[in-house]
Amino acid sequence: MPVFALVDANNFYASCEKLFNPKLKDRPVVVLSNNDGCVVARSAEAKALGIAMGVPWFKIQDEARRHRIVAFSSNYALYADMSNRVVDILSSFSPNIEVYSIDESFLELSGLNQQDHAAYGTEIRQRVADWLGLAVCVGIGPTKTLAKLANHCAKKALAGQDGVCDLNSLAPETLTNLLSRIEVGVVWGIGRKLAPRLNGMGIHTVRQLRDADAETLRARFSVVLERTVRELRGISCLDMETVVPDRQQIMFSRSFGQLITNRQGLEEAVASYIARAAEKLRRQESLAGAVQVFVRTNVFKPEVPQYQRSMTVPLPEATADTRVLTIWALRILRRIYRPGYAYHKAGVMLLELVPAAHQQFSLLAPDAVTTGRNPTLMTTLDAINGRYGRGTLRLAAEGIAKPWQMRRERMSPRYTTAWEQIPNVRAG
Amino acid sequence: MPEPRSPFPNGPGVFVPLLGAPHLPLPVDPVRVSAGFPSPAADYEDQRLDINDYLVRNPVSTFFFAVEGDSMEGAEIFAGDILVVDKSIRPRHGHIVVAFVDGERLVKRLYNRAGRTALVAENPGYPALEIREGMELVVWGVVTGKFKRLTT
Repeated sequence: MPVFALVDANNFYASCEKLFNPKLKDRPVVVLSNNDGCVVARSAEAKALGIAMGVPWFKIQDEARRHRIVAFSSNYALYADMSNRVVDILSSFSPNIEVYSIDESFLELSGLNQQDHAAYGTEIRQRVADWLGLAVCVGIGPTKTLAKLANHCAKKALAGQDGVCDLNSLAPETLTNLLSRIEVGVVWGIGRKLAPRLNGMGIHTVRQLRDADAETLRARFSVVLERTVRELRGISCLDMETVVPDRQQIMFSRSFGQLITNRQGLEEAVASYIARAAEKLRRQESLAGAVQVFVRTNVFKPEVPQYQRSMTVPLPEATADTRVLTIWALRILRRIYRPGYAYHKAGVMLLELVPAAHQQFSLLAPDAVTTGRNPTLMTTLDAINGRYGRGTLRLAAEGIAKPWQMRRERMSPRYTTAWEQIPNVRAG
Repeated sequence: MPEPRSPFPNGPGVFVPLLGAPHLPLPVDPVRVSAGFPSPAADYEDQRLDINDYLVRNPVSTFFFAVEGDSMEGAEIFAGDILVVDKSIRPRHGHIVVAFVDGERLVKRLYNRAGRTALVAENPGYPALEIREGMELVVWGVVTGKFKRLTT
């Protein structure tokens, strides 16, 4: 029988912020989404104050002042590095690991000659705490859905102890009892949309869902829900997805920090996004066979004139060269740009990706195409930007001032990924 | 991952590269082969020295901090040095540590004897910082090395 563990970092983004900043001890901390819009992470203290997930920052200004809440822009460089460190540690506990999100990983524990899985979970939790100063909870069960539920129980201290909960170790009646005390919406894949519909059928608790007729649910909803029910019964239907396939498309889009009303501003933004997307493309050693560009006004403000348009063009020859991709992206932009609108967002997508090793050259290639055949310049560009920071070396098309850039005014230092931003320590 | 089907089911060992197969560099002997005598060094080849191996024992739990101030000069830790801090080492009496005290990041030597805990400077001009009841001390990690670039 398989044994799954879900390891989930507590308040991950907020915990990363607290880890390096001693002034944040016992202070409520929130982390904001792109453009410093909404609360996407909260420390335990902020949760205790009742700060809701997803609430716009400007709406909680009074509370923030009253309780001295500290808000940060999302510092993805820091969170990604700390996440990779957690994954490194987890990988030493099981060869079979699925990184499910930036702060959650599934581990397969069967076949490890481990009798006491809860003790193993405690060891994992202790190791991450000792090595990284981050708290994680470990949920263990015979299916991924139950492991995720066990993690919820560990986090809310509904079962298990000290942040570790092994549902396999519970007697059947104890488990049933536990499941009848948990709302159905907590179950992986149910969420806010499905829960009210299930409630309408008289299914309010996890236990009721587990004991519901799977066939009926499949007919009324989907095969996915049927699978969830089977997983709650302890029949493993979801396997570990350990192999991360190379991405088939690379997307890069952002809302602007301030609206853009001229073509030059859009061109700079699109050129920057192409640079980022192309860098990702080269990192996975692929070439793009087509480019898409889209622009749009703010759809959330229906009172202003609305416009949105996207266009995709196939390239004469697949490439990973920023210069070539920029030329095509700007050509597309000129086609879809309409003056007189206040643009709110733009994006680029690289499509029809092929491995770089399979490059096919076109016989009838114009200059704009053959430029991209020599990878040396791009390798150098990536090396320089890798060493001295993103954007150190870039095409002039990206512009200098970048007034459209995301607002990230409350960003903490990149403590672990930039030499000039490492934390200082006082000898005095 | 499913086994790629060979287009030559019963053929001899035909190697068909898989589309999108991972890139695995062959371990090619870096010493150039000449048609004459083989290199006498070929059998003695070592990995070139890497400063990471020297300074970092456990990369996962290692973090870097920049030093400000002169209170640790007796331990050869100077302003501008970059400290190598390993969080996986359990701090003990006598270790040089990075510690969080009352909202500050400090580097000091940890004193922990006879029920007394203090952070001790390595410079006669600085008194030891006694950790008393009610004071918040978090020993963040143990300093295991330091380095610095010189201007040239």
